[in-house]
Amino acid sequence: MGIIYRISLFTLILITIGALYPKSAAYKDFLWFESDQFFQVDKVRNCELIYTSASSNFSQNKESDQRKLSQFIDAFYPDLAMEAFNTPASHLGYHYKLLRLIPEKSKVQTVICAINIRSFGADWRNSELETTLNKQAVMYSQRPAILNKLLLSLNAYDNKEISERVLDRTREWNEERLPYKNPQNSVNNWCRVEKWGDWQNPKRQLADQFIKQYAFVIDEINPRIQDLDAVVILAKKRGWNLVLSILPENIEIADSLVGNDLTNLIFANSEWIKSRYSSQTHITVLNNVNLLSSDHFTDKDFPTEHYDVEGRKIIAAYIAFALRKNHGHLFSNPAWASNHNFQ
Amino acid sequence: MIFNSLPFFIFLPVCLLIFYALPHRFRWAFMLVASYIFYGYWKVEYLILIAFSTVVDYLVGQYLYMSDNRKKRLFALSISLTTNLGLLFFFKYFNWFLDDIASPLGFISQEAYGYWNQNFQFLLPVGISFYTFQTMGYTIDVFQKKVEPEKNIFKFALFVSYFPQLVAGPIERFKHLKTQLFTKHSFTYEDLQHGGRLILYGLFIKMCIADNIANSVDLVFNDIASYNSAVLLQTTILFGLQIFSDFHGYSLIAIGTARLFGVHLMTNFNSPYTSLSIREFWSRWHISLSTWFRDYLFKPLGGSRVHQLRLTANILIVFIVSGIWHGANFTFVAWGLIHGLAYVIEKYTWKRLKTNNQIINIFRWLWTMSIVFVAWIFFRANSMDDAIHFVAKMISGGTGNLEASFPPIALSFVGLLIISDIVLKDQDIQSWFNKQSFIIRWSAYSFMLLAILGFAGTVNHPFIYFQF
Repeated sequence: MGIIYRISLFTLILITIGALYPKSAAYKDFLWFESDQFFQVDKVRNCELIYTSASSNFSQNKESDQRKLSQFIDAFYPDLAMEAFNTPASHLGYHYKLLRLIPEKSKVQTVICAINIRSFGADWRNSELETTLNKQAVMYSQRPAILNKLLLSLNAYDNKEISERVLDRTREWNEERLPYKNPQNSVNNWCRVEKWGDWQNPKRQLADQFIKQYAFVIDEINPRIQDLDAVVILAKKRGWNLVLSILPENIEIADSLVGNDLTNLIFANSEWIKSRYSSQTHITVLNNVNLLSSDHFTDKDFPTEHYDVEGRKIIAAYIAFALRKNHGHLFSNPAWASNHNFQ
Repeated sequence: MIFNSLPFFIFLPVCLLIFYALPHRFRWAFMLVASYIFYGYWKVEYLILIAFSTVVDYLVGQYLYMSDNRKKRLFALSISLTTNLGLLFFFKYFNWFLDDIASPLGFISQEAYGYWNQNFQFLLPVGISFYTFQTMGYTIDVFQKKVEPEKNIFKFALFVSYFPQLVAGPIERFKHLKTQLFTKHSFTYEDLQHGGRLILYGLFIKMCIADNIANSVDLVFNDIASYNSAVLLQTTILFGLQIFSDFHGYSLIAIGTARLFGVHLMTNFNSPYTSLSIREFWSRWHISLSTWFRDYLFKPLGGSRVHQLRLTANILIVFIVSGIWHGANFTFVAWGLIHGLAYVIEKYTWKRLKTNNQIINIFRWLWTMSIVFVAWIFFRANSMDDAIHFVAKMISGGTGNLEASFPPIALSFVGLLIISDIVLKDQDIQSWFNKQSFIIRWSAYSFMLLAILGFAGTVNHPFIYFQF
């Protein structure tokens, strides 16, 4: 009897804590600190357009015009409210968890997902930032707040050590799965080709990075494809239009440093994504992988999807034009776009 | 599987239910399976290592029992020691040996070094330092005929792999654990209550204190140049409290978990920061390791019944080995050496110090804490250069351009830890709880529960001692 009485008391204490915690200031402070995108959900649910992306949305250097890519899209649709989920280093899996939080009854009509081809590769998937993203995402799960908090404290998410991620990445780079003959049959073999001299040569280092970022073949078991499938199903369920915007990559530099064996892989991967999803009626796939010249890429020492203001405008315009399919009656050309011929 | 993880929170109750549902004769076998699941959950491949170590020490133990030939017995013992220390060296120290010794001194070519680094990367098997020491302790005990070897290899395997204390101790002795592991035991409310309390308190100090401090401490240690001397001093103190909360918390959970199965593990900490000498500190800090070194290294070296010079050397050897045991870096050697030197200084200069004089005791406490906390800087720093820079800047009143932010909630928990440590000095935590009224006991439980659920740290910091 004593045990039952004590267990009941223990349970009662747990329930009381669980009920009071979400109402506390400590909980809100914690969310701001740990998982601030949680508050973005409240904004997003009252918008017609949602843009999800990693850091490609932002200006990355000291430009006079710091507007985000999503703001440029928004400029084409002044009568539609638009908000973005944009967390650096994030990807479709992370965005899916945020999108899932949007209530079934919301104003959302169209979701635009920016897709970085690199995010499908071993380096990004095993990035050390992955742990941080997974950690943030715990609070985005649809469970009682106190349980999410406890799970977070118990590290109940994919929180591999950096060394483990490096091992996973290295293992993938050693696998001879590329559709070429040795030495281009694996990332590590390919990187040993001394086209640009020794390792001290910056071109050699950059070529190495390009191979590591883009030398892979996307297939159905790629975790990002599974994430994308989940986003597609969610969009269908909620009645959202989905625009998959495959972001431009620095093809010119990839070609000059490594050659067309690498660029062909990039094109093949982006086409694979396009062909997989474009047949579905609620989905528009924009394959802009070769849209921009290298001048528009702001990072010169590492392959990224960070664009200058002109680059962001061009991509935004292509997306905005694609949105005319569902929102054409609200389309209007902003002043800055009238000087360009985006079509 | 780590204690402050969801899988363990599921694993433990399931194990408990099955354990007590099974007839007594099957329980130890079940615990062996559970222990291998517990360890294999982290990385299945490393079960081979623990199984290998088990088989070698089992066979050596059997041979030592059967043989009377001293030379052959010594040879058998050396096989056990070489195997265990070899595993430890390969997985824990080999990369350090290559990086800091072999490569800089030219023992190995740069090509071979580069090839090794690129192609062979091993993760340190969790707990390898603990279970190898536990099995070596067994073999030495059998060699010295202090215990009879276990005849059943599977029962011996349970001794090596017993999950509550497998990955970070307390390092148990065969004699102490054997009788408990295989003795018939019925479920009692007292075990549940005592075990549960220890687990709750352990989780509280690990998750609410250690994990909340860890982030701020890491920031400072990773960027020493940006902080002023006051921040460095605060960080030093906080790291000392972090590592205590971390390891003491772990030990409490381990002891509490074993207690749920009716097993009493040895106490590992007894208010170490109340110590009035380094000698006393080591009788209160990581007791299972310090007694291991005393029995299996210090005494075989001659103990204290040797010439003064030899004794000094023995003390320093023990502390340096203890330092190296903690990690593959010269910073750990320095940490051990600081403790060793302070121990020697005390031994030869404090003989006539009165222990009942409060003013002298305050001086002794300040000395002890200064040594302990400065040594922690070496323990925590990323390199020797960092450690020296840290100490120099802290002492010289260096400036910095960054402010440190220590979470207020963590600092208030730290205050509670200090008070509870003083209150619990030389006292069993169970007896303290038992003396309290129902209201106080349950208020304490509720407070710890609320703290764990609402205010536990969320930075992913595995138990510090797991890396050892």
